[in-house]
Amino acid sequence: MLSQRLFGVFALSFTLLAPLAVRAEPVVGQPAPAFTATAAEGGALSLADLRGKTVILEWTNHECPFVQKHYESGNIPKLQKQAASQGIVWLQVISSGTGKQGFVDAATAKKLNQERGATPANTILDANGSIGKLYGATNTPQLFIIDPKGLLLYKGGIDSIASADKDDIAGAENYIDSALKELAAGKPISKTVTKPYGCTVKYAS
Amino acid sequence: MSVTRYLPILVAILCGPTPASAEPSTEAATEQVKVQLVASAAAVHPGDQIWIGVHQQIIPHWHTYWLNPGDSGLTTKIQYQLPAGSSVGEITWPTPSKIVLGPVVNYGYEEAVTLLSPLQVAADAPVGGELPISAKVKWLVCAEICIPQQAELALRLPVVAAGAAVGPGSTLVELAKASWPTASPWHAEVVAAADDTVKLRLSGADLAALREQPLWFYPEQWGPIAHGFQQQATVQDDAVEILLKAGDQPLAAGETLRGVVAVGANGKASGYQVSAVWPAITTAKPLAEAEAQPGLIQPRSELTLAWAALLALAGGLILNLMPCVFPVLSLKALALFEQAKHQPGQTRRHGWAYAAGVLASFAGLAGLMIALKAGGAVIGWGFQFQSPLFVLIVAYLLFAVGLSLSGVFTFGSRIAGIGSGLAARGGYQGSFFTGVLAAVVATPCTAPFMGAAIGFAVTQPAVAMLAVFLSLGAGLALPYWLLCHWPAWQRRLPKPGAWMETLKQGLAFPMYATTAWLIWVLARQAGPDAVAAALLGLVLIGLAAWLYQISRPAADFARHLAFSVATLALTVALAGGTIVVGASGSTATRQAGSESKAFEVYSAERLSRLRAEGTPVFVNFTADWCITCLVNEKVALANRQVLDSFRERGVVYLKGDWTNRDPAIAEVLAQHGRSGVPLYLYFAPGAQQAAVLPQLLTPDLVIGAVKGASL
Repeated sequence: MLSQRLFGVFALSFTLLAPLAVRAEPVVGQPAPAFTATAAEGGALSLADLRGKTVILEWTNHECPFVQKHYESGNIPKLQKQAASQGIVWLQVISSGTGKQGFVDAATAKKLNQERGATPANTILDANGSIGKLYGATNTPQLFIIDPKGLLLYKGGIDSIASADKDDIAGAENYIDSALKELAAGKPISKTVTKPYGCTVKYAS
Repeated sequence: MSVTRYLPILVAILCGPTPASAEPSTEAATEQVKVQLVASAAAVHPGDQIWIGVHQQIIPHWHTYWLNPGDSGLTTKIQYQLPAGSSVGEITWPTPSKIVLGPVVNYGYEEAVTLLSPLQVAADAPVGGELPISAKVKWLVCAEICIPQQAELALRLPVVAAGAAVGPGSTLVELAKASWPTASPWHAEVVAAADDTVKLRLSGADLAALREQPLWFYPEQWGPIAHGFQQQATVQDDAVEILLKAGDQPLAAGETLRGVVAVGANGKASGYQVSAVWPAITTAKPLAEAEAQPGLIQPRSELTLAWAALLALAGGLILNLMPCVFPVLSLKALALFEQAKHQPGQTRRHGWAYAAGVLASFAGLAGLMIALKAGGAVIGWGFQFQSPLFVLIVAYLLFAVGLSLSGVFTFGSRIAGIGSGLAARGGYQGSFFTGVLAAVVATPCTAPFMGAAIGFAVTQPAVAMLAVFLSLGAGLALPYWLLCHWPAWQRRLPKPGAWMETLKQGLAFPMYATTAWLIWVLARQAGPDAVAAALLGLVLIGLAAWLYQISRPAADFARHLAFSVATLALTVALAGGTIVVGASGSTATRQAGSESKAFEVYSAERLSRLRAEGTPVFVNFTADWCITCLVNEKVALANRQVLDSFRERGVVYLKGDWTNRDPAIAEVLAQHGRSGVPLYLYFAPGAQQAAVLPQLLTPDLVIGAVKGASL
C-alpha cells in the first residue's frame, strides 16, 4: 500500500537536513573534536583512547620565534613536566604542511624535544592539517585542554603578553600554569577562552 | 640583501640601549621592512599639534598588522619618547586589508603603511632649540613565516617662534590621512541572525553606491567576531547587511562592537568607522546556561528526568489523536485488519516493526537536536518545519500518499505475490516506515504535556535528552503496538470488506488537507514563487503516479517509457522545488500583514516598553506549522468576548511568530522551560512575572487570566 520508494523521498529530506549538523570549531564545554593521528613515538594516537585523562594539545612549530621564546626560556618544558606530574597527557601537534616552516618527521621531532629539554607525552604529526582545522588552530603556540570526559575546557594562548620577547614571560599571566593549578586543586578553570598569539599555523593549503 | 641594510637594526638589537654617541637615525631597515620616522612639519612652534608617525615600506608578499591582527600576528607597537611637556597620542590606524592564509585570516598592511599619532608640543618648548623625538618600534612581519623585528628611530624638529614658517613635512603624512577610515554616514546596528551569526546592518542614504563593491567588516577587538568567517554582504536600497559569525569571546548584550567597514578592493578600500550595540543572543551557549532574565517570568520548571519521561509518554499517546497523525495510523490499522486474520505472531512482529520505525525516527531527531545543540544553535521542537525545504518535501510525500489512497496508483501489490517470505519482509519494512512517517508528521503537533517534557529535554545532557525523546516515541507507538499484541482488541476490529476500500479512499482527504496546509505554511515561509513551484511539483507528482499506474499492464517498451517519463517528472518536481524554495526561502517577506488589527507583532523591546508603562500585555508565541496554536487562536484568541475583555482592560496583544527561526523567541521559550510553541504569557500591570497560560486555551481561561483570576 505505502511505497518504500516514497519513503526514499523522506530519507532524502533527512539527508538534506544533515549538513545543518556539521559544524567546525570546538566550543568550550562541548565535546572536543575526535581525531586519530600519526604520532612521533610510533603508531596511531586516538583522542578517544585518552578518555579518562586530561589532555593538553599544544600547536607548535619549532622555527616560529614565538614558540622559540617559550621553549628557549624553559617555559613550555616546565609546563610539560608540571602537567606530567599531575597525570595530564601533553601532546604537541605539528600542523605544518610538508616543506612548510616547522614541518618535521618523527625522528626530528623527537630529537628537537631532546635538545630543548621538552618532554611532551607524544607529538602528533598533522602535515595535512586536518586536526588543526578541526580545532580551528590558527597560532603557534596555541593550546587546548580537554577533560577526562572529552569535553573542551580551554582554548587559547599561552600567556597574556603577545610578544616574541622572552623578557615578557615573567610579567605575563601564564594561562596554562593557572589552569594546571586550578585543575590540581579540583577547581574549574577561570579563564576558558583567551586570545592566542604567535605565528600563523603553516597549513599545507 | 646587503648587510648594510641590516646594520641599524643589528645595532639596535645587539647593543641594547643605544649609546649617546650613535644616536639612531630617522630610518632603519630589515630585510623585509624599511621604517622611517615622519612628521607633518619640518619645524614646530611651542604649543603646536602636529602628526608624527612611523612609515613602513614592506617587501612584496609580506605584511605587518592592524590594531586587531586577526587570527594570528601582532599589532605594531610604537613607544615614543619626548621631553617633558610634549606628548604623543594613540595611533590612527589606516583601513586594513585582509590577508588570507588557508583557514587563517589576518588583518594588516601590505606594501606600505604609515601609522600616525598626534603630537602635542610643549607650550614652553624653547624657541631656537630642537624637539627631540625618539621612537622604539616593534613589529611582526609575516609572509609564510613570521619574524618579530624592532628598531629605534629618532628625529629632531627645530622649535621656531610663533608666526615663523615651519616648512613642509613629509608627504607621507597626507597620504596616510587619505587611508584613514572616516566616520560612517550610516546608522549601524547589530541584529541576531540564525545560529551563532549576527548581521551588521547599515542604514541611511547613498547605500546603493555600495552595490557591487566588496564589503568587509574589520572588528577592532579580538573575540566578538570570527575572523575567518566568509562575510556575506547584501545591499538593498536603504540598508546593507553583512553576515558575521560570533567569535570565541562574543560580547555581552549591550556592549559595543567597534570596527571598520571597508568598501572596495583589498588595499584600496575606503574605510568607515562603525560602532553598534551587541544584541541579546544566545550564541554558542548551551541552552542550559542561558540565564533567566530578571523580570521575565516563572523560573524554569523543575522537572526530574523520570517525570519528564512520563510526561513525554503521555504526550506521545495524545499525539496519536492529532489530526496529522491520525490518518497515518488509520491507514496502518487498515493493513492490520488484513494482518489480523494471519498468525498473531506476524501481527505482533508488525507492531514491533512499527514501534522500531517510530523510535528510530525519534532517536534520529534527538541525535539531530543533540548535534545542533552541541553546535550552539538555539532550537526547539518542530524546528525542522522552519526549513521551507523540509515543509515542501513533506507536502510532496503526503500528497503522494493521498494519491495512493485515492487509488491513482498502487505500489507493491505485484511484489507481494512473488513469495510469502519476501512479502512478509516487505510488509515489516512497510510497518517500519509507517512508524517513521507517523513520527515525522507528528512533530508539528505539540500536544499538551509534551511542551514541558521537550523543554526539559533540550536543557539536559545528550543521554537524558535521548531518553525523553524515546519516551515520547514509545507513547506514540504504544496504541498500535498494543493493538498488535492484544488479540481481544483485534477481535473487536470490524470485519474486512468492501467498506475498507471506501474508507481508504476517504482517508486520502486528510492527506490532501494536510498538503494544502503545508503549502500555506510554505507560502508564509518562502513566498509566492515557492508556492508556484510547489504546486507545479504536485501536478508533476500526480502525472508521475498516473503514468506509473497506466503503464503497469503495458508492454515492456511502453512501460519503460512511461516509467522514464514518470521518473523525470518526479525529478523535475523535486529539483525545481528545491531550487526555487531554496532561493526564495531566506529572502521571502513575511510581514505580519493586516489581516487582523487585534494584535501587534511581538518584539522584546515593545514588550519591555509596554511593561515599563504599566500596560497589561498578553503574548502569544505561535507558528504557522503549529496546529495547536492555530486551534487556540481560532477558538480562544479570535473570540469576541476575549477581544472585548482585552479592550476593556487595555490589554495589548502581542504575537510572536516562530514560523521561521528566531533565536530571540527561542530564548524566551527556553526561559519558560519550553522548546516549542505555543506559549501564552499574561503580564498583569506592574507584575514582576508573567502568568503562563496552559497550552490549550478556552475563551474563559484567557478572560479569567486577564481578570486576574488564579490559574
